[in-house]
Parts: sequence; C-alpha cells; structure tokens
Amino acid sequence: MDPTRELLDQTLLRIGIASYVTGALVLFGYFLLRTPLLRAIGMPLAILGCAAQFVELGTRWWMTGVWPLTNLYGSLSLFSAVAVTIFLIFAYRYDFALIGGPVLAVAAIAFSYATTWNEGYMPAVPALQSYWIKIHVPIVITAYASFMVAACVSLLYLFKAAAERRYETRGTTLRGVVAAPAGGTMDVSLSTTAYAAPPPGIVRIDTPAIAQAAAAGDAAAQWLAGLPSLARLDVIQYRVIAVGLPLLSLGIITGAMWAKEAWGAYWQWDPKETAALISWIVYAMFMHLHTRPEWRGTKTAWISVIGFASIVFCYLGVNIWISGLHSYKM
Amino acid sequence: MEARRGVGVVALTALGPLREAWADLVRTFANVTFGVTLLGVWAFLTLIGVVLEQGKDPSFYAANYAPPIARLIARLDLANIYHSAAYLGVLGLILCSMAAATFTKVIPRRIPRLGPVKVDAIPLHAKVVVAGDVETARERIAAFFAQRGWQVRKRAFGGDEWTFADKNNWARRGVLVAHVGFLIIAIGTTIYWAKGYSGQFAVLSGETATIPENGAKVDLRRFAYRIDPITTKAGIVYQPIDYVSDAKVTGKDGVTRDAVIRVNQPYDVDGTLIYQATYGFAIDFRLTKDGRPVPGSPDHPLKEGEGFPIDGTTRAIQYTRFVGTIDRATGQPAADPRPNDPGIVIQAFDGERAVGSALVPLGQTVELGAGFALTPVRYVLYSGFQYRNDPGMLVVGLGAFVLLTGLCISMYFLPARLFVIARPVPGGTEVGLAATTVKGYDVFEDRFREIVDALHRTQPLADVTEVTPAPALGTV
Ligand code: HEM
Repeated sequence: MDPTRELLDQTLLRIGIASYVTGALVLFGYFLLRTPLLRAIGMPLAILGCAAQFVELGTRWWMTGVWPLTNLYGSLSLFSAVAVTIFLIFAYRYDFALIGGPVLAVAAIAFSYATTWNEGYMPAVPALQSYWIKIHVPIVITAYASFMVAACVSLLYLFKAAAERRYETRGTTLRGVVAAPAGGTMDVSLSTTAYAAPPPGIVRIDTPAIAQAAAAGDAAAQWLAGLPSLARLDVIQYRVIAVGLPLLSLGIITGAMWAKEAWGAYWQWDPKETAALISWIVYAMFMHLHTRPEWRGTKTAWISVIGFASIVFCYLGVNIWISGLHSYKM
Repeated sequence: MEARRGVGVVALTALGPLREAWADLVRTFANVTFGVTLLGVWAFLTLIGVVLEQGKDPSFYAANYAPPIARLIARLDLANIYHSAAYLGVLGLILCSMAAATFTKVIPRRIPRLGPVKVDAIPLHAKVVVAGDVETARERIAAFFAQRGWQVRKRAFGGDEWTFADKNNWARRGVLVAHVGFLIIAIGTTIYWAKGYSGQFAVLSGETATIPENGAKVDLRRFAYRIDPITTKAGIVYQPIDYVSDAKVTGKDGVTRDAVIRVNQPYDVDGTLIYQATYGFAIDFRLTKDGRPVPGSPDHPLKEGEGFPIDGTTRAIQYTRFVGTIDRATGQPAADPRPNDPGIVIQAFDGERAVGSALVPLGQTVELGAGFALTPVRYVLYSGFQYRNDPGMLVVGLGAFVLLTGLCISMYFLPARLFVIARPVPGGTEVGLAATTVKGYDVFEDRFREIVDALHRTQPLADVTEVTPAPALGTV
C-alpha cells in the first residue's frame, strides 16, 4: 500500500483509539457525577471513534479490494465499532448514556488489541474466499457486540442490586431508629435526589432500602437512587440480548451454510462452532428464565454475564487455546 | 358380565395412580426451570467436548492427563462426547421437556378472556379525565386505539362499559413456532444419522479413488496450489491463495465428467458432495541394504504421518513432515513452504520408542545403520477430499428458518392488552386504563407512557384537576 493510504489508515486508527480512550474517561465521569456536560462531550467522542473505525475498515476494503474481516484485526475492529454503535442506539433511544464508560473502555481495549494483529494487507486464504464471509462475520460480530453491551447493563444491575442488599441489611439493623417504608410503594417526593427528576405520579420503588437511605440524607444512597431502576435495567438488558440472540442464531445458521460449502458438512463439531452453540444455549437459558418473574432480575443478570464470558471464550479463547477449522488453516 | 365389570374397575383403580404419576411426570418436564437445567447440562457437556480433544486414542488421553482423569474419559466416553449416550440422552430429555411444555403450557395458552379488572390494582395504569360524556369519550378512545393498529372490542359487564384493545395477539404463537423449529432441526439431524454418510479420502495425482458408499470414482489428473509471498509488517508471509483439483468423476450412470474441485466449490455426484479439504506431498522412498533394494521397501508413495517397518529388524521409519525449502546456508527448514529445494523430516523408531529424526533433502541418501540406506526419491502431490451425503439437510435448513422466525416473533412482537373503562365524573369522563403483557409490566412501561402521553395530546381534556395524569408505574 502506498504511503498516503498508509498515513490515512494510521490516522483513522489513532483517531478511533484516542476517541474511545477519552470518551471512556469522560463517560465514566458522567456515570459518577451525572453532569450533563460530560455526557455532551462523551457521546460525540463515541460517535467520532466509531465513525473513524468504520471509515478505516471501509477505506481498507476500497483501497485493497480485500474484505477486511478475514483476520482478528478486522473482526475485533468491527466488534468494537459495532458495540459502540449499539451502545449509541440504546443510549439515545432509552436515555441511557451511563454505561458508555465501560462500553467504550472495552471497545478501546479490543481495538488496541486488534492493532497487534494488524499484519497489513493480506489476501484471504482459500477457505475465506467466499461471499459467506461478508454475511456471516458481520452478523456474528454484531451478536457478540450486543452481548457485550448487555453484559455491561447486567453488571450495572448487579451492582445496584448488591447495593440495595447492603442497605437492606443496614436498614434492618437501624429499624429501631428510622422507620422503613411499608411495602414497595411510597410517594416519590421521599426519594427526590439531586440526580434524577422523578416521573410524575405514584412511583413503584424497587430499591426501597436505597430510597429510604437517600431520603435520610445518605450521599452514596442518593447517588445510587439516581441510577435507573432495577426494572428498567432489566428491560434494557433483555432488549439488548433480544438483538443478540436472533443474530447469534442467524450467525450460527449462516456459518453452517458456509461450512457446508467449504468443508462439506454444515456441522462438524469444530471447537468454534461448538463454542458458539454453548453461548447460544446460555442465552436461550436467559430467555426462558426471563419469562419467570421469580428468576427475572439478579439471576438473569448473572446469566447474561456468564453468557458474555462464554462469548469471550468462543471469540478469543478458542482461537488461542484450541485449534480447529476456524484457525483458517487448511 | 359382573366379573368383567369387576376387572374393569380393578383396571381403572390401577390406572389411577399411573395416570397421576404420568401427570406428575409431565408437570415436571413442562417446568421451565427443569427445561433450563437440562439446557445447562447440554451446555456443560458441549463445553467438555470443546475443551477436551475429541476422537483420540485412549493412549493419547493416558499420555496427556492424570490417570484418574484418563480413566474417567474412557469410562464416560468423553472422547466421543457428542455421540455418547449421555449427550444424546440429554438432547432427548430436552425434546421431551420442550414437548411437555409446548402441549401443556404453550398451546393451551389462549388469549385471556375479556373481562373487567381492577384498574388500580394493575401496576401499569393511568387515569385521564377527558371532556365530554362517557359515550363520546368511549368512541373517541376506541378510535384512538384502532387508528394505532390495536384490535378494539367493547363489552358491558354489570352496567360498566369496557373497551379492550389488543396488540400482537398472534405473536403469542412465537414460542410455539420456535419450539417447532427446534424440533424440525432435531428431525433433520436424525435423518442424517439414519440415512446419510460422510468420509474422507486422499488421491495421489494420476490415481483413482472410489467412494465406498456410492461407488463414485474420482480420478485425480492434477492438483495445483498457489502460495504467494506477501510482505507484511512482520516480514514475508507465505499465504495460500488457491487449491484446486482437476479430476474426472464417474457417477452411477457410468458417465465420466470433468470436475474442477476447489475450496468453497464442492462437486456434486449423485447427491453426494465432494469437497476440496487438504493436500500434501507424498514421497516415493527407496530402501536398500548393502546397495540392493529391500523387498519390504514401501511400494507406493507415503503421505505425511505414514511409515514402514524395516524388514528383519525391530525398527521402523515414519515420514513426518514435508519441508518445501531447505535453507542452504543453515541446512534448516526455511519459511517458504513451496518446494524450491525440498526435503523431508523422517523419524526412526525402535519398537514404540523414537530413536532419532533427520531432515533429508530429496534425492539424498541417509544411512540407517546395519547396511540399510534410505532415499526419498521424489514427491507426488496428493489431494485430500471430504464427501458427504446428507438427506436431512433441507429439513435442518427449514427448521433453522422456523426457529429463527419464532425467535424474532417472540422477541420483537409483544402481545399486550389494554383494559379501558370510562366513567362519568363532574366536568367530564374519567378514562381509566391498565395494561398487561405476556412478559410482565416492566417491558411495556415506555410504550404505556407513550400511549398515555398521546392520549393527553390528542384527546380534549376536561377542565378539571386530573386524578393521576401519568402512568402509574414509573420505577426509580
Ligand atoms: C428444554 C426444554 C424447554 C422447555 C421446558 C421450554 C418451555 C418454554 C415455555 C414454557 C415457554 C413460555 C414461557 C412463557 O412465556 O411463559 C418458552 C418460551 C420460549 N422458548 Fe422454550 N422451552 C424449552 C426449550 C426451548 C428450546 C430448545 C428453544 C430453542 C429455540 C426454545 C425457544 C423458546 C423461545 C424463543 C421462547 C420465547 C421466550 C420469550 O418470549 O422471551 N425453547 N419455552
């Protein structure tokens, strides 16, 4: 590749990484302080990094004529760009920029790690010279990316649920001093904090211990009360997984179709496809448990986190520890 | 007659506990937590299959794992886990559990009967006081929902006029569709196990191989590969670009056809697909003792991994690896895999014990001791093929499509019902509405809020203080 193209490529790479790193820091700040200004700075940085990545992948394809997703560099780049895109969509749709910090941090790490696999501009090995790669890889990567975003939401859920449990235990010991609210319903004016304007009307509170401590002036509880409700976090986690699971299913199906064409069998128990099946089963478990009110919440959030761990194993672990057809060698 | 009736009664009483046990069994299997536990076991067994190398000899596990683990692997058939009784058994149980749930829960689940509810008792509820009398308000609200694609029905209960608005009721069947899709995939896979076949074979250039199951002949005329040196940041990398077998294939009709078989471009003979899978360099060896050819010397070219015994000794030679280019300066293998200056690595064994290895340039002779000498004379390219006949494939494809459709229906189309009641209040009509969905209330909170907001925007509001202006469920 000529030096001008190389320079363009490198510049876009640097813009991407720099935007993610600063964006992650700023949005972490937003998570802690909830200052609108930080969100107003962090979100455009996320958009900039994501755009730089897509442009970089696009120009690479355009300039070399080689589909850029044939190696770990390309696929990890796409992973981080798509994860940030999914985050942006959910952040704008559900007013949910809070998880921008961890999402952008993972994107920055994945992208930086990707650059260590950037060998330059290689033509694809025969097994990857197929139109299927253009269909299968983006689908699977989008599924992985949505599971990553979902895991960030689930972790936030687990964090708030754990805090509620702590306040609950503390509340029990203090019950003689401060009256706990009866049931889960109270007037919202009790939990008004500096962080979140409550919706009008009667409000169901799913973290009553936090709300009570917040009303009693506990600063940490006030900060926690400003986080979205557990119910809302659960719904967002479900919705992101509802993007990922059909895509993972489609990814496995298109992978099987490609495998049939390339290796003769749509399913060969290759470690990679089998690991993807494991993730699929874990998310199917999530979906089923989520239909039961008694399982919805902390338990399903844990399954989402385990699901993402299985995705990391499938995506990177199998490539690193276990050889198979997907190591792309003949 | 009496006696026969007696027998019937005895049979019925005996059947009673049996029927109860059966009902118990079905209840257990239909339980979602039970099904999910089975899915967990399935995932765990699959994970063992990914982590533990499959299909190796017991000696491999004995050599690589602690003795108790190696014994466990052998006893539980973990080396062949995907075809083990445990694995198939769990899949069978999952299908039973899914079937039990489908018949007892999913299919009978009808749309709930239209009836009055306590609006305030449903977490998702709101009240809007609109202008006008009850009748006009009801008509306007009905039109409001109908316009937005809700199916509107009206019913009177004990003097109260209720309006019911349903959305995506058909999508209750999404679960059924997904379950049926999974079942169809299982059927397709079973068809392959029962009737399909697959295998692999390698053919030397100029030779012919026969697929045993269908008698098709593959005559390999020529195998060609292209490997290009590519300059990367890490230096020169030799990247495979193309593998292609020029063959003549004879099918059941006895007609021989030209076939170009490439990676990603299989060749179909009588419904069996032949795939380009691998290739290699077979070696013609000459073994001599005291300068004369030895009768046990291999009489055909050997592929990587193959070997031969040296007659009259306890020794054997294995052809381990082909080296495309030997670096002349160092005598060691160079990075270029193309046969520029080729050689091979051989390994000598005494019984089971490896006693040494050597890199031998092609055409050169290596002394093996006791008067034996071995010469790798030339290489012959061979092509490795896989073949597969899968009569269940279309069924699996159909199942995958149905499953995916079911997933999308159940995840993207939320069946919801709104209960609306209009009652006269001083100055207007109070419209109370509550919403339920098949997935609880939280998931509909945003939509409900939007609906109530839209009602506020579009309906003429009464000039009175509202009772509860916004959706009731706003969780903090
Ligand atoms: C292991 C045995 C299984 C049992 C006992 C079972 C049972 C059920 C039940 C009872 C529901 C409805 C829950 C509700 O809405 O109240 C459901 C939902 C569902 N099932 Fe299964 N199922 C099983 C396996 C499977 C499998 C293997 C799939 C594969 C695709 C699957 C796909 C689905 C889907 C997509 C839903 C809808 C989930 C949602 O609406 O969020 N199920 N299952």
